[in-house]
Amino acid sequence: MTGSDVSVMVVDDHPIWRDGVARDLTERGFRIGATTGDAVSALRIARTVRPDVVLMDLNLGDTSGVEATRQITQEISGTRVLVLSASGEHGDVLEAVKAGASGYLVKSASVEELVDAIRRTAVGDAVFTAGLAGLVLGEYRRMAVNPDDSEQQPPRLTDRETDVLRQVAKGLTARQIANKLVISHRTVENHVQSTLRKLQLHNRVELARYAIEHGLDRDGTPEE
Amino acid sequence: MVSTGERKAETSGGAEESRRRTTPRRAAGLVTSTLVPESAGEASSGGEAVPDGRIPLWRAHNGLRILTLLYALVWFVVLVSDYRRPALGTAVLVGMALWTAFTCWRYGKPSGRTNTMVALDQVVTMVLFALCYFVLTERQLDLGLPTVVTVWHASMVTAAAVRWGMPGGAVSGVAAAAANFAMRGYIDPNMWMDTVLHIAIGLLLGLASDTARHSTERLARALRAEAATAERERLARDIHDSVLQVLARVRSRGSQLGGEAAELATLAGEQETALRALVSTGPAESVGGSTDLAAQLRTLDSERVSVSVPATRVELPAASVSALFSVTREALQNVDKHAGPRAHAWVLLEDLGTEVVLSIRDDGPGIPEGRLEQAAADGRMGVARSIRGRVESLGGRITLDTAEGEGTEWEIHLPRGESEHGRSAGGTRGQHGGTTA
Repeated sequence: MTGSDVSVMVVDDHPIWRDGVARDLTERGFRIGATTGDAVSALRIARTVRPDVVLMDLNLGDTSGVEATRQITQEISGTRVLVLSASGEHGDVLEAVKAGASGYLVKSASVEELVDAIRRTAVGDAVFTAGLAGLVLGEYRRMAVNPDDSEQQPPRLTDRETDVLRQVAKGLTARQIANKLVISHRTVENHVQSTLRKLQLHNRVELARYAIEHGLDRDGTPEE
Repeated sequence: MVSTGERKAETSGGAEESRRRTTPRRAAGLVTSTLVPESAGEASSGGEAVPDGRIPLWRAHNGLRILTLLYALVWFVVLVSDYRRPALGTAVLVGMALWTAFTCWRYGKPSGRTNTMVALDQVVTMVLFALCYFVLTERQLDLGLPTVVTVWHASMVTAAAVRWGMPGGAVSGVAAAAANFAMRGYIDPNMWMDTVLHIAIGLLLGLASDTARHSTERLARALRAEAATAERERLARDIHDSVLQVLARVRSRGSQLGGEAAELATLAGEQETALRALVSTGPAESVGGSTDLAAQLRTLDSERVSVSVPATRVELPAASVSALFSVTREALQNVDKHAGPRAHAWVLLEDLGTEVVLSIRDDGPGIPEGRLEQAAADGRMGVARSIRGRVESLGGRITLDTAEGEGTEWEIHLPRGESEHGRSAGGTRGQHGGTTA
């Protein structure tokens, strides 16, 4: 399994980790477009380098990786963000995914898992860990009960999507889920992707509505 | 070690302050400098965030004192021409006014509400009351006309009750009533009423003061516990995000390289395990007897156990949380024992509003058909029975789904009591797409 033609940018403020990952990926044939340790230069570099995949750590110290994820995915078409973080799968991972990240992987994942995840992210698949599936499930349920005082109907999961997400959260692979639910492997991937896309769309509409209501210009005051 | 000083300053600055700050950057010195469990306690031991519940009582006391002074002034104007010693009467009234001003000023500040001050208040008030004996004529005393101090006298009882609670209030009330009997030298129904009022004020206000003091203490304790828990969770998160990652990296890379590096990798791995265990202490009970099961389960997350929980809190009664937590731990230990050290396990917690669903799955060899029945017949169903028993005693139900080669999956459904619905993040419109068990 090689990286073929996928270019990757590594954003992580920890040099040991950053260089280690970059070396692992180079060894496996990926092109490392750039590495950087902070969110501001990440956006600047990504604009020029336009990598296929940005490996993004959320805990960047100075600024939030969530905001960088939002800007990169909105501004640079063709660049996808894969969150590679250690932060015990808390709310910030969910926020990053809502902001546009295509998936999430824990840092303790093996190199093989990482390579596979980057390859899948590059072709537009969603990369889900069990932990992220649990967070997304929880988020849909939260929205169904407390819709953020919006006129906009919160997105809902279909029964099938709920089923698939639950299986992902219990650690089943796409192939195992496909067997269990008697659907194709591709359909499983599509269901997972669709749960993310609905969440991201809703989030973007909400942010736009909020910005208009509060008279904020597009790149003005942060929304929190 | 710049980070050491900075982090210490932060913890002593109070939990609120440290929570507001963004997560500090990863620092190599993190563990050595801040992994001191006591620091969580220090950070929150201030307690000044909780205002004393007795402050309104002191304000009421001051108000009563001023009001009764005005009342006394009215009677003074009416009676002064008939006094035996009007000059002394005037002096008593001026003394009352000065003492009212002084006590209101002292009791208006926390530093003035001392034992000495309240004791002095008792003496001064009693002396002013006693002087009235020389101000009023015998006839005025016999007729039951008010003394110069009138009901202002009672303010010593309220002060004692607020400061010392029920016993202090009662004693002061009895003293005030006794002084009244002593001055008049006779007993009539009016005076009995005064007596009852004096003692009742002392008792009731004392009770209010005791209650306010206890609830202030309880609130301060609860806030301290909450701050300590938040601090501990933050520390655990920091360590999880930084040191553990480096150790994990050293371990995985080292074992790939082999040789001496592999030995170092083993050492790093041991430290990683030890540190993970150290930061994985369960969070303390929160206010109101309910705790967050999600936070508790997250502490079980490790290399081989993946814990999936919602980002929102999953509140359940503390007893249910600790029972579900220990059931989960037991099930995971069971995975270790039967599915081997290579097996992975996944814990999924879902909050459907009306019920909480907890699934524990492993990818071990599973249990072949008939083995469970066989084990039950042999009386070797210890763990399964203990888990089932505990879940059922909580009012929940549990299913076990297993087949040879397909791992084992426990699924626990625990309905929420009626009273808990409001508190939950979920609702009845859960999108649960049917169970897989």
